[in-house]
Amino acid sequence: MRRNRKGMKLTCLTVLLLAMFISACSGGGGTAEPADPKPADPGKGEVSSEPVTLKFWTIALQPKFNDYFNKLITEYEAAHENVTIEWQDYPYDAITQKLLTSSASNTSPDVVNLNTEFANQMGTKGALVDLNEYLTAEEKAEYFDGIFDSTVLGDKAYALPWYTGTEVLFMNKKIVEAAGLDPASPPQTREELADWARTVKEKTGKMGYALNLVTKLLTIDGIPILNEDKSAAAFNTPEMAATVENLKKLMDEGLIVKEDSDLGKQVQFYSAEQTAFVLAGPTFINFIKTSAPEIYENTVAVSLPTGKAGLRLSNSMDLVVPSKSKHPKEAAEFAKFITNAENQTAFSKEANTLPSTKKSVEDPFFTESDGSLEAEAKLASSQSLDKATDHMVGVPNASDINSALARGLQDMLLNGKEIQATLKSMETEVNNILKQ
Amino acid sequence: MRWIRSESFAAWAFMTPGLIIIAVFVFWPILYGIPLSLTNYSVIAETKYVGLTNFKNAFLDKNFTISLWNSLLYVIVVPFIQIFSILMAILVNSRIPGIKLFRAAFYIPVVTSMVAVALIWSWLLSNNGVVNYLLMKVGIISEQISWLSASETALATLMFITMWKALGYYMMLYLAGLQGIPNDLYEAARVDGANRLQLIWSITLPLLRPHIFFCSLISVMGAVRVFDEVYILTKGGPGTSTLVSSVYIFEKGINQFNFGYASALGLIVSVLIGGLSVLVFKFNQKGGVNPY
Repeated sequence: MRRNRKGMKLTCLTVLLLAMFISACSGGGGTAEPADPKPADPGKGEVSSEPVTLKFWTIALQPKFNDYFNKLITEYEAAHENVTIEWQDYPYDAITQKLLTSSASNTSPDVVNLNTEFANQMGTKGALVDLNEYLTAEEKAEYFDGIFDSTVLGDKAYALPWYTGTEVLFMNKKIVEAAGLDPASPPQTREELADWARTVKEKTGKMGYALNLVTKLLTIDGIPILNEDKSAAAFNTPEMAATVENLKKLMDEGLIVKEDSDLGKQVQFYSAEQTAFVLAGPTFINFIKTSAPEIYENTVAVSLPTGKAGLRLSNSMDLVVPSKSKHPKEAAEFAKFITNAENQTAFSKEANTLPSTKKSVEDPFFTESDGSLEAEAKLASSQSLDKATDHMVGVPNASDINSALARGLQDMLLNGKEIQATLKSMETEVNNILKQ
Repeated sequence: MRWIRSESFAAWAFMTPGLIIIAVFVFWPILYGIPLSLTNYSVIAETKYVGLTNFKNAFLDKNFTISLWNSLLYVIVVPFIQIFSILMAILVNSRIPGIKLFRAAFYIPVVTSMVAVALIWSWLLSNNGVVNYLLMKVGIISEQISWLSASETALATLMFITMWKALGYYMMLYLAGLQGIPNDLYEAARVDGANRLQLIWSITLPLLRPHIFFCSLISVMGAVRVFDEVYILTKGGPGTSTLVSSVYIFEKGINQFNFGYASALGLIVSVLIGGLSVLVFKFNQKGGVNPY
């Protein structure tokens, strides 16, 4: 009897624990769907007049820009009474995974902030709305052509360019002057930059700069990644071999750091005064300002030396409309509003980024300098926007191809693999990706 | 009614929540991976049945073959982990003052987040990091080495970090085993004139065999599935020198949205891990699993 009672107690405890477990699982985990503030009017057949809630996702903009976005959203909702915007912000690493899970569960957002590589990757899979359907020729012409075309695949435009950045050359004035070079007349081409790095190495023992070994190294020298109709790899050429040979030589001489260095590593090298230069976007300033304030004081920004193609590359953030959006028309309208010239100018002033609209850069904010590093970098990069283009322009399966090319470059430059054989292997790999 | 009141019912009731979680988050994804591997599933686009194409492509995929090879190479770390953690366990099992401090110190890497560990090691191993500084100071190396950026050193460096992090965990398991060995056996052997090495060889190691078997098994599985440190520190690079199967599968699935293909790769790796586990079982059976 005592044993039975013990069993009953155990059973009750188990049921209680189970109930607690189930209630814990069901509570709070996700974001609840907001109650629709404006009930549908069945009398009206027009889609645009029905209440619409648009889910708008951005990358790492909260809480710094809450005021800017809340004002923008209020303004938009006031002008579009049937539209409610639900803004959510995610870290860079989380947004693609969130996008996948929401697509799988049919709760897709309507307007999403993605970078060009991911926008192209998703466009290739047919996961994004072709925005050509919602854009007039005048609206398209508002954006810089090279930046807008970054996410055009075939005849479909998969994204609206938003804020962008072009790289500039940051120089450690102290090291450069110690090497007997004049920062007031900086290098104009990559060859001149290599000469400067050589002088710095000889006179001070410091290295020139660090590089991220990715596909943009091809684009700056005018080496096409794919052929005209994007059906096959086009980079296996003598020019590509020469570019790799040259980079390898510079690494062996100790002018370029023999590492694949992302921005974080480049900041480390520069902060420790191991390198004299950094080729990066204006976001670099924020890092150096925090990590090495004394180096920040000693840094000057000038226009980026160009490669053989004479191009300056942009790194853009875009707005896309997923195919699973229930309101693509309204989503495209909202994306146009966020990325129009007026709002891009205002955002650039808030965030110290560059706009992707032609009219925005006419604003004095982009033409006048107060002499600060930020203003100099902004001036240097905004003047390059008319010729700027993304290095993954219209490349289908951009993530797969970028990854294949990056691995190949690392093999040739860091692992000592034979250039011709590696290029051949990279070509085969990229062609296989394109066939998928 | 009687069964409801029985102890086995209570046991099942307690196990059920855990079983539900395992079923939903472990068994179901494994089973669901099988049909997925026969499709071009990408979550975001239309799914089509592709038969065994993903498996065929997997064996033609140079990067996957390299990643499998690197994962197998990673198993080299297992004997080192086991030998050093047994030695550490023997050391911290001694009755010397302050030994608890050592136990805690050796265990700290286990409870530290892999992200923090990886970041600290990336600083220590960077060109101007402490490791290069010390090695140059004592004259072991003459110039800075890019430990994680050179194909010659990257994989071995990652293995070292894995070993460093895992040692404390296995040390604790072995310590539990050591403390279960009756002291009389050592005393009897000492009376018979056995020295310290003979005690370890003839008593400690045979009686630790079940622990060695368990630790080797989970350590082999862990080595083949290694992900965190590789992804954080090298992302498989430079080139493909540290590309292990988990990182490649993650890249194919999460970064490139090829979930069908990634599922096929995952199944192949699961079969490989299953095969290796069988080998560990066989190896252990040969020496006798249970010495008691």
